[in-house]
Amino acid sequence: MCRQDSRVRLSAEEEMEAEESLSIYCKPVELYNILQRRAIRNPSFLQRCLRYKIQAKHKRRIQMTISLSATVNEVLKSQNLSPICIFLARLVSNVEYLAVYRFSRGCVLDSSAGVEGSTQIQAHFILPEINKLAPEAKSGSLAILLVSWVGVEIPLGTNLSKGSLDPNLLPSAGGGYCFWGKIPLESLYMSWENSPNFSLGQRAEIMTTVNMNSCFSKLSCLNEDKCISVQLPCNPETVTTLQQVQVTISAEEMGAKEKSPYNSYICSDIPSSSLSHIIRLRAGNVIFNYRYYNNKLQRTEVTEDFSCPFCLVKCASFKGLRCHLSSSHDLFNFEFWVTEEYQAVNVSVKTDTWRSEAVADGVDPKQQTFSFCSKPLRRRRPKNLVQNAKHVHPLVLESELPSGVCELQDKADDAHSSKGDKAYFSGVSSATPQSYADPDCVQSISGSNLAPSTMLAFAKTRKLSIERSDPRNCALLRKRQFFHSHRAQPMALEQVLSERDSEDEVDDDVADFEDRRMLDDFVDVTKDEKLMMHMWNSFVRKQRVLADGHIPWACEAFSRLHGPDLVHNSALIKCWRLFMIKLWNHGLLDARTMNNCNVFLEQCQSQDLCPKS
Amino acid sequence: MSGKFTIGSEPVMGLPTPSKKRDYRVTNRLQEGKRPLYAVVFNFIDSRHFNVFATVGGNRVTVYQCLEGGVIAVLQSYVDEDDESFYTVTWACSIDGMPFVVAGGLNGILRVIDAGSEKIHKSFVGHGDSINEIRTQPLKPSLVVSASKDESVRIWNVHTGICILIFSGAGGHRNEVLSVDFHPSDIYRIASCGMDNTVKIWSMKEFWTYVEKSFTWTDLPSKFPTKYVQFPVFTASIHSNYVDCNRWLGDFILSKSVDNEIVLWEPKVKDQSPGEGSVDILQKYPVPDCDIWFIKFSCDFHYNAAAIGNREGKIFVWELQSSPPVLIARLTHAQSKSPIRQTAMSFDGSTILSCCEDGTIWRWDAVATS
Repeated sequence: MCRQDSRVRLSAEEEMEAEESLSIYCKPVELYNILQRRAIRNPSFLQRCLRYKIQAKHKRRIQMTISLSATVNEVLKSQNLSPICIFLARLVSNVEYLAVYRFSRGCVLDSSAGVEGSTQIQAHFILPEINKLAPEAKSGSLAILLVSWVGVEIPLGTNLSKGSLDPNLLPSAGGGYCFWGKIPLESLYMSWENSPNFSLGQRAEIMTTVNMNSCFSKLSCLNEDKCISVQLPCNPETVTTLQQVQVTISAEEMGAKEKSPYNSYICSDIPSSSLSHIIRLRAGNVIFNYRYYNNKLQRTEVTEDFSCPFCLVKCASFKGLRCHLSSSHDLFNFEFWVTEEYQAVNVSVKTDTWRSEAVADGVDPKQQTFSFCSKPLRRRRPKNLVQNAKHVHPLVLESELPSGVCELQDKADDAHSSKGDKAYFSGVSSATPQSYADPDCVQSISGSNLAPSTMLAFAKTRKLSIERSDPRNCALLRKRQFFHSHRAQPMALEQVLSERDSEDEVDDDVADFEDRRMLDDFVDVTKDEKLMMHMWNSFVRKQRVLADGHIPWACEAFSRLHGPDLVHNSALIKCWRLFMIKLWNHGLLDARTMNNCNVFLEQCQSQDLCPKS
Repeated sequence: MSGKFTIGSEPVMGLPTPSKKRDYRVTNRLQEGKRPLYAVVFNFIDSRHFNVFATVGGNRVTVYQCLEGGVIAVLQSYVDEDDESFYTVTWACSIDGMPFVVAGGLNGILRVIDAGSEKIHKSFVGHGDSINEIRTQPLKPSLVVSASKDESVRIWNVHTGICILIFSGAGGHRNEVLSVDFHPSDIYRIASCGMDNTVKIWSMKEFWTYVEKSFTWTDLPSKFPTKYVQFPVFTASIHSNYVDCNRWLGDFILSKSVDNEIVLWEPKVKDQSPGEGSVDILQKYPVPDCDIWFIKFSCDFHYNAAAIGNREGKIFVWELQSSPPVLIARLTHAQSKSPIRQTAMSFDGSTILSCCEDGTIWRWDAVATS
C-alpha cells in the first residue's frame, strides 16, 4: 500500500515530473525480479541465513528449565562444595564402574545466574521437539547430571560450554571428588508425554528429588569433545548421600504457536502525524518512505514480515532487513530508524551511481534489447519467412505498432535472430527479428512511441507486466501457426500481426445469401417485401447499426444510399415508407428525420422523372 | 417401407439370381501388407491411364497398372511419415494434364501427389477431422470435393491449393459425412451423405464466380475468400441408418446404407424453394451380407454396371440401366473371405478390382461367355 503525502499540492505538469522521478524506483524492480527468480534456486548467502533464521523461528522446540532452590548452594558452600553444575549429557560408555558422559552445554547454578530477587536459580536447556526427542529419550542414554565438586571454587560466570576449560579450575587433571546426581531423560519424557498441559502447548512442571552421591569424577574438555567421567566407588557402602535435592523441571513447547499477526498491538500513542488512520502494527511491519522529486515529496509504503519492498524477500528481522537492503539494493540510500511505535526506513536515490549507467537521452534502457550470442547460430529459415520476405518492408514502416520490443529471453531462442556472434543494442523496431532483407532498419529507434506509462507498478503487481505484455504477445504470435477461425485455413504471419480483427470473419456474401434464403422461407410475404427486408438487413449488418439511437441516422443513410433504386419500384418505396412509419410508431424514428428521408426520396423521384442533363 | 408408396410407385426389387450375361474369373491376387485397404480407384480422368489404379491403406498410397493376362504391375508407392491412415483416394489432374493422386484419411489432410514427377504437390489443411471420401469433378479435374468426419464437405482447387467452398452449417450434415459425388453434367451440383442418415444435394451456383476465381488466384491461398454454403438444396431421408456411399446416375442417385441394398431414387428438387422437394424411389438392388458401414460400390465409366463387395468377400455386379434390375454376376472365391471395402471397375467393365480388409487386392477379369 502506498500512500501519497498529501501535504504538497502540485500542478499538472509538476505532477508529471513528480511521477517521473518516482518512477526511478520502478526501473530496477525488473532487474531485481530477474535476480530474485534466479535466487530461488540459488540464494545468496545473506538470503540463506535469513531464511534459516525464519525457519528456525518456526521450528518447534522444547524449552526446559531446571530450577533449584537458591538455598541449596548456600548449603553446598558451607560444606566447601562448589555450586551445582548441571549438564545435559549423553552416556558414551559405561564400563565397569566408569561412566563417561559427553555434554555440550553445562550450566553453573549460581545464585547470580538466577533472576534477581527470586528464590530460585534456573538453568535453561533447549531440547528438540517432542517427537524428535522420543527415540533419544527412550534409548536411555540422555540424562541430566547434577555435579558438585569438592573443594573447588567455580568463579562466577564460568561458561562450562566453552571449548577450552581452564585446567586450573579443577585442581587435578585426574579429577576430583564430587557429589553427583542423575535424572534420566526417559522419565522426564514419559511424564511430558502424559502431561495434558504439555500436549496443549502449555508449561508442564515436574518436581523430583535427586540423590547426590559421592564419587570420583573427571571433567575433560578437549576441543569439541567435552566429557565428564564418573567413577562410581566400588564399594556401595562407601557411598555417602549428601542430601536430596529438590529439583523442579518445567518444560514448554515453543516456536509452534501460530504467531498471531496481531502480536504486538499498540492501541495508544499512535503518532497521528504520519498515520491518519489506525493501522494495527504487527511485529514485522516496516514503513518505507520514498523521497522523490528532488526530495520534495515523499511516498510511504508498509511491508509485512520484514519484507523488502523491491524484491519481496522476507528478512527475518529488522537487522536482517538492514543487511539485505544495503547489500542487494545498492542504488538507493537507506536510513534506518526504530521508535517504540514503528520501524521505518527512509529511501533516497543515490544520484552518483545512477549516472554511471550512461543511457542516451530519450532512450529508455528498459526498452532496448540486448542480445549476445557466443556461438554462431545456425540460420534456421522457416518456410514462412522466405515467403514473407517481400512483406518485411511494410512491417518495417509500420513502426507505429506499440508492440515493438522483443523479449530478452526470446532473443536467444528466436529463430529469426540468427545474426551470428554479435552483441548489439538493437533499436526498438518490430523489424528487428525479420531483418533478413533489410539490415539497415536495425538501428531505427522508435522509442518515442512508447509513451512512458510507467505507473508505480510495484504497488500492485510488482512486475511491469502490463508494459511488457504487448511485446510478449507479439513474440508469441510468431511462434506457431495460426488458422482462420471459420475456414481453418492457415494464416499468413502478416495477417496474424495486422491490426485487423479477424475474430468473427463474417462473410458478407454468404450472409447476404443466407439472409435471402431465409427470407425466401416466408410464404406470406410478397417478393418486394422480401427484397425490402433483405436490403435493410444487409444495410444494418454492414453498417453495424446496433443501438436504438442509430436508427434515425440509419434511415437517412439508407434513403440516400438506395433512394435512386427505390424510386424505380413503387412497391418497394411503399414498403420503405411503411417501414419508416413502423419505426416511428415504436419511437425509434423522429418525425423530422422521416421528413428528411421523404424529402430526399421526392427529390430522387423528380430527378428520375425529369433527369437533368 | 412399402406402405409409403402409392400404387405404381413401389421400388422395383432386383432379383439376386445372376444372369450370367458376363462372367468373371480371378486372374490375380496381391497382398499389400497386412493393413486394411480402404479404397481402390481407376484413373478415369486421363484416357492414357485408364488401366492405372491406386489403392490406399494404412499410411501408404500405391499406384499400379493392370496389364494383359491378369498381370498387375506396381508403379509407385508413397508413404506418409506421420501416423496416417488413408481412407480414400481419387485421381485428379493439373491444368497441364499431369496426373495427380489425391488421398486423405485420418489426419484430415488432403495429400495431392504429383504422380508424374513422383513428388507431393500440395497438402490441404482445413478439415477438422478425418476425411472419408474425395472425388474429382470429371468436367473440371482440378476440382476435388472432400467429405469429412467434421461434418463438412469442402471443394478444393488442386492446382492453386485453395479451399473454395465449405458446405456445412445450419443446414449441413449433423454427423460424419461419408460420401460425396459430383453430378456428371450439372457442374454446380453435388450430393453428399453421411452418418446422419440423410443424403443432401448442394448447389454451387451462387458462388460459381469464386470457383472460377480460384483458378486465377495469385495471392496466398489462405487469403482466398472461402465461402460457406449452409443450406443444401435438398435433404432426403431415405435410409434409416448410416449412408456410406452415394453416386449420381444421371439425375438419379444411387445410395446405400447398411441394410443390404443399393437404392436408386430420383430427387425432385424445387430450385426456387429449397428444402422442398420429394423423393421417388425407383429401384433397389439387394446385396446380401452388406451390413457393415464403409463399404463402397463403384461403376464403370459409362455407368452400365456397378460392382459392390460385401463383408463375406463376395462381389455383386449389377446392371444399372435396366429395369427390373439385373444381376450380371456374383463373384465368389474360396479364399476371398475378408470384407471388401471398395471395388473398382475398369473403363469398360471388363476388369473388376476389389480391396479387402486383410490387405489383399483381387483382380477379376471378364471371360467370354457363350
